[in-house]
Amino acid sequence: MFEVSRRQFLKLSGATAATLAIVELGFDPHKAKAAAKELKTARTDVTPTICPYCSVGCGILIHVKDNDVVYSEGDPDHPINQGSLCSKGSSVRDLYTTDRRPKKPMYRAPGSDRWEEKEWDWMLDRIAEKVKETRDSTFVVNEDGIPVNRTEAIASMGGAALENEECYMIQKLMRGLGLTFIEHQARI
Amino acid sequence: MTAYAKFVDVTICTGCRGCMVACKNWNDLPIDTQAYNGTYQSHDKCDGKTWNVLQMKEFETASGGFEWLFRHQACFHCTDAACEKVCPENAITTTDMGNVVIDQEKCVGCSYCVYNCPFEIVALADYVNEDGKIVQRAQKCDMCDSRIHEGLVPACSQTCPLDAIVFGTKEEMRKLAEERLAIAKEKFPNAMIYDPPGVDGTNMFYLLPEGPEAFDLPVNPKVPTSAVIWKDYAQPLGKMALGGTVMAVATAFITNKLFNKGHGHDEEGGDIDESTKE
Repeated sequence: MFEVSRRQFLKLSGATAATLAIVELGFDPHKAKAAAKELKTARTDVTPTICPYCSVGCGILIHVKDNDVVYSEGDPDHPINQGSLCSKGSSVRDLYTTDRRPKKPMYRAPGSDRWEEKEWDWMLDRIAEKVKETRDSTFVVNEDGIPVNRTEAIASMGGAALENEECYMIQKLMRGLGLTFIEHQARI
Repeated sequence: MTAYAKFVDVTICTGCRGCMVACKNWNDLPIDTQAYNGTYQSHDKCDGKTWNVLQMKEFETASGGFEWLFRHQACFHCTDAACEKVCPENAITTTDMGNVVIDQEKCVGCSYCVYNCPFEIVALADYVNEDGKIVQRAQKCDMCDSRIHEGLVPACSQTCPLDAIVFGTKEEMRKLAEERLAIAKEKFPNAMIYDPPGVDGTNMFYLLPEGPEAFDLPVNPKVPTSAVIWKDYAQPLGKMALGGTVMAVATAFITNKLFNKGHGHDEEGGDIDESTKE
């Protein structure tokens, strides 16, 4: 058997007690870490913006740190929402951070079953070309002897997040093209 | 210590779920897509990935009418917190503001708190530890600990468009709850304040339009008896016993030193010391 003298036993006990005492006193590396935890928005650049979803137009603050959106919240100084946001407005950070966000214009050719990435220049030229082509081929100048100057082959759809100035521009452009179907998301 | 509380007025909630998204946003919680189960409710209940869930209940009133009940479901921050009591690593603590927080670095994922929470709120979820490993740790609402300690209100409270979630001292919130109760009584005769005494009151409490049963809440939640026996009786006794042993050893050591001086070689210990030439 392992023989232990009384003195050795006492020394061992003392060492054990001392170890336990130190452990109980708590040399805890986590404590320092917890104390250092600072507010997530303490060192962020804040940009005010307007919610892109419904027509209420709530104010939102976007918090940016290291070129990433770390938080978005209702703007407490905004007269419309005074700091509050609904579930859609609260999720606005995901518009930027989600991996499902398309970063280039997406194009689906007629008859095709898949989307492909295109450049903005190509996209704008293509839209302009198609608008001109459609308008010219369907433009009606007179109907029953009355001048109408219209096309019924194109429609315009506005969104709730458009502001006065954008609505004005859209009206000018669409009326200029001769559109009659100028609609708004909130009416359908 | 001033106890702070989050007061949730269930009677005026419209169920917009802004609180749910704001919580995920502030706490960087992951997406958790769950299967459709026949109701408008997005998640089954609170868990480690979703710290607050908007419960949607279809309720039939006494007169046969239909009423939607919407409840912001999250950690109650019990004054006598069962999770804190059962935690063997002391990872769960109540801060000076009365909110109950879990130290993710101290937690070992034993899930005692998960099984002892009277409201089934705490749950295990992925956590990336100091070594970059993904481990299972107990997680739940911490009432936006860093926010409230900087003088802000919790993210859910700030985003609520109806002022249905209000944050302030417990005293102020109790007063506000009484005022709102008087108003709510006109529309909901069964309205009540849910601040259960079985856990010494909670620092997240409700004004409910109907009894707690209508929301699947426990009528009288209590800290589990086993937890009380273990933490309030067994553990202090165990610590006393350990302390006693240490004291006995220390006393024995000192007395041995004191009284054995001069006896020298007659002692058994001395003999061995001689032979080992220590």
